[in-house]
Amino acid sequence: MNIRIIKENLVRRTMFGLCLFVFSLVFLMAFGLYQKSKPILAIISLKDLLFSSIWHPTQGHFGLSSFIAGTFWVTAIAVIIAVPLSILTAIYVSEYASKRVRSFAKPIIDLLAGISPIIFGVWGIIAVVPLVRDYLMPFFTKRFPFFPFVSDNYTGFSALTGGIVLAVMTFPIIISVVEEVLRTVSFEIREASLSLGATKWQTIKYVVLKKARPGIIAAVILGVSRAFGETMAVLMVAGCALGVFPKSIFDAAYPLPALIANTYGEMMSIPLYDSAVLLAAFILLIITALFNMAGWGILLHIERKQACG
Amino acid sequence: MEIKTHISVKNLNIWYGQHQAINNISIDIPDKKITAIIGPSGCGKSTLLKSFNRLIELQDGAKVSGKVLVDGEDIYDPKVEVTHLRKKMGLLSQRPQVLPVSIYENVAYGPRIHGIKDKKKLDEIVQRYLIESNLWDEVRGRLNSSASKLSIGQQQRLCLARGLAVEPEVILGDEPTSALDPLSAECIEQRLLELKNKYTIVLVTHILRQAKRLADYIIFLYLGNLIEHGPAEEVLNNPKYLKTKNYLEGKFIEEPKINKELNLKRTAYPNNFVTAKLALGDLEFGHIVKIIVDNESSAIEIPKAIEHEGHKILEVRKLNQNDWEIVVQKHNGGYVI
Ligand SMILES: Nc1ncnc2c1ncn2[C@@H]1O[C@H](COP(=O)(O)OP(=O)(O)O)[C@@H](O)[C@H]1O
Ligand SMILES: [Mg+2]
Repeated sequence: MNIRIIKENLVRRTMFGLCLFVFSLVFLMAFGLYQKSKPILAIISLKDLLFSSIWHPTQGHFGLSSFIAGTFWVTAIAVIIAVPLSILTAIYVSEYASKRVRSFAKPIIDLLAGISPIIFGVWGIIAVVPLVRDYLMPFFTKRFPFFPFVSDNYTGFSALTGGIVLAVMTFPIIISVVEEVLRTVSFEIREASLSLGATKWQTIKYVVLKKARPGIIAAVILGVSRAFGETMAVLMVAGCALGVFPKSIFDAAYPLPALIANTYGEMMSIPLYDSAVLLAAFILLIITALFNMAGWGILLHIERKQACG
Repeated sequence: MEIKTHISVKNLNIWYGQHQAINNISIDIPDKKITAIIGPSGCGKSTLLKSFNRLIELQDGAKVSGKVLVDGEDIYDPKVEVTHLRKKMGLLSQRPQVLPVSIYENVAYGPRIHGIKDKKKLDEIVQRYLIESNLWDEVRGRLNSSASKLSIGQQQRLCLARGLAVEPEVILGDEPTSALDPLSAECIEQRLLELKNKYTIVLVTHILRQAKRLADYIIFLYLGNLIEHGPAEEVLNNPKYLKTKNYLEGKFIEEPKINKELNLKRTAYPNNFVTAKLALGDLEFGHIVKIIVDNESSAIEIPKAIEHEGHKILEVRKLNQNDWEIVVQKHNGGYVI
């Protein structure tokens, strides 16, 4: 009997099994969260849970909207800051920087990616909170006294602070993926553009970025997904005040991950409390999944368009 | 007939780091003719070609010394604007490199980056050069579809149209047919033959038959050295030097085994010739002597005179700014004048 074929089958089956296991974990998690949040869904309507902003567990009010809004504020601010800056940085590192600069920049970016969130949180408290409190907020509220800049939260612990810290945390992911993607654009196609008399910037703008667009989008999705789920650093700097619906970038924000981390496991004697928190987790999972799917959908659309016009 | 020179290379050296890829080459490339650069793989054909539009500068560690004059202007002069120079030189690469946009936008790309915005003018340019590269009939109905959907042969013609659309003076081709099927290759060759009335064409090829079909002028490189150059008929049918002959016959090219070296620097013709003749007299039949001289007139006259004596010139090569090397094989004693 042929041992090689037995081995081949064994390897294939094991790998299939492992693959199945990983996939099923995701579904099991989603299913578990759903099961656990069923009790509260049975009593309070989903609409109330999603759109009410009243969070009084002892009185049976479990409105999640301010937490969902907090998540969106912090993530949106992070994305608005991080995406353009990190793409430009990646372009500089991959296209313009000399070999020496690149050999410095790469390890530093990777180091940044490896730093523990709690350190970003501490940095946020000692550096970003005062910056927001003493400079950004007075500046913006004076010059632009309208939505979304007016706020009565003068502490500096705000959605903007969380967004800035989160942006800095997502930099390294986006930079390093985009840089890698830019470097996969072939040298020959750059030559083709340059040989027509295009400048370097024209070549980057019209050829390199165009070729790299699917990869850049993937990098952004990766970065944003991280921003959605990041907990620790945001929890430390975003204010996390209960009973505030954030209407301004200077309001305190209380994103879903922070809520879950802060409250799950405590005060479990309050009826439905744990079910409400697990529903928050379930919603977070759904938001992240939806965002990812939308992102990959765009990506697929672009790839198909590039492939067949 | 006086041949006009378009590109003039003077004492060109190119290094990649420590490795010297082009070794003191001086050559004139005629205007409105097809010049083929031939030679075995790795001999520096692409390197030489890319020095003409300064694409060579993009290579890591590439260093260039010497001059390349295009229309009498040294392109390595710091005052020269490189985008302006490259606009003058269309490039066809080995594999067609279409831009990730539509067929129309590929051709319009060049004119656009040079400032043409008028839609009607662009339409006209796109049509004219697609016709000129013989692609119009195949794509006229789908100008807005993606260029990457075209076959490789069509893509190469699109690249040709794109290059022509910036109105270059020179077309540089780096083995432009090597990735194509025979029919597409023939189509490109046909285009080039028609275009040579309007453009100076420099074509790198390792296909000898292609050089025969297309070239008016041949440059033969070997290991970064210029071995032989001249009108195509002469070089291809009647090569002067041993290495050219071996390459054309598909034989292994080897360095001749030098039996004796003769340094005749700082002597003038005909004195140095007399010395060489005496030295050859002492040599065994069939042995090889390498003669070094340091002025061009000797490098031209000595080989002629030695050939007249019945010996065989294997190679004449410029070593550096001043020195020339002449490799001579003594006759076999079969006949003596
Ligand atoms: N970017 C580079 N870095 C280092 N060496 C190179 C580079 N490009 C080419 N070379 C070397 O220079 C020589 C000439 O290369 P090339 O001009 O591409 O030859 P050809 O086109 O005749 O095949 C070869 O020995 C090759 O290995
Ligand atoms: Mg080559």
